[in-house]
Amino acid sequence: MSERILSLVAGLLAALVIGLAIFWQPELPERPLPRAAMPEGGEFALQSADGPVSLSDFRGKVVLLYFGYTYCPDVCPTSLAATAEGLQQLMPDELARVAVLLVSVDPKRDTPARLKEYARFFHPVIVGVTGTPEEIAAVAERYGVFYAEQKVATAGDGYVVDHSADTYVVAADGKLAGRIAHATAPDQVAAIIRKHISPP
Amino acid sequence: MKQLSILAAGLLLSAGVLAGAADNVSVQDAYVRLAPPNAPATGAFMVIRNNGDKDVKMVKADNPVSQATELHTHLNEGGVMKMRPVPAIEIKAKGEAVLKPGGLHVMMIDLKAPLKEGDAVPITLTFDDGSSKQVDARVVRPTAAPAPTEHKKH
Repeated sequence: MSERILSLVAGLLAALVIGLAIFWQPELPERPLPRAAMPEGGEFALQSADGPVSLSDFRGKVVLLYFGYTYCPDVCPTSLAATAEGLQQLMPDELARVAVLLVSVDPKRDTPARLKEYARFFHPVIVGVTGTPEEIAAVAERYGVFYAEQKVATAGDGYVVDHSADTYVVAADGKLAGRIAHATAPDQVAAIIRKHISPP
Repeated sequence: MKQLSILAAGLLLSAGVLAGAADNVSVQDAYVRLAPPNAPATGAFMVIRNNGDKDVKMVKADNPVSQATELHTHLNEGGVMKMRPVPAIEIKAKGEAVLKPGGLHVMMIDLKAPLKEGDAVPITLTFDDGSSKQVDARVVRPTAAPAPTEHKKH
């Protein structure tokens, strides 16, 4: 009796397996990701060591925005060095049409004066700006920038800041136009800047 | 005579033990990135080759110019760079570990005094068998290039 039930179960299972093998056509998920919407970006006003800085101050120029901080041990110097070398490849008339802002994602520790020295080390064109934590959060949100403090026992004052490492490109009309990925080579940085200086 | 040979054997054996992982490891292109003004930390980068037949782990790095020295890596999660300490950096047998910006690095935290371009920083690397190796890392300005070396520059 139990043997018959067992063989029945076995038979059913075998049928199931064969059936699956024949009829089951897993639909491979071909779902093109929705094109990532460009964050809205837009106007902001923050503080530099030499006074207030608004994005609209640079209307007519291509503006590169990098969100970083002076305690940043590796990622920011890598990004900013690439940007600086890209700037060095530009002709003087091209350079005159570019602005670069380093926006602090560590407003608690970064002062405008700290940022100024830090930014200038890479390239005189780079201007460091910061604001209240609320102002920074608002700018970051509109530009789609993620940042978060992360406790590290031995890091200066006990934390580092995880942050988006892309450089944001704002076109001459003030609209967010693109992003340059972290570790992009200087000649590509220069090419991207040129593309935005003289759009086709 | 017998005792002497035992002693000799013992000495040979201990010499064999002392010749640890560090002897099979060679380090190339070591450099420290000049920290920008106001940056309290910076990274040291290098290529560590393991010429031996056994995997080696670097478990510690030390240097006299910063308060703390740690082994770190970066995780790139959707464009967000996250720096995290790692307990060890493994160098496979006959393989190499590449410490470079944006990836594995020796983190020099709380510099005692600002570094100058061209300074040499002695960095002591310690391996999982307790052996260690010292390398002199030159201080260079940050560049976008992955590993500036003398012969590439000149």
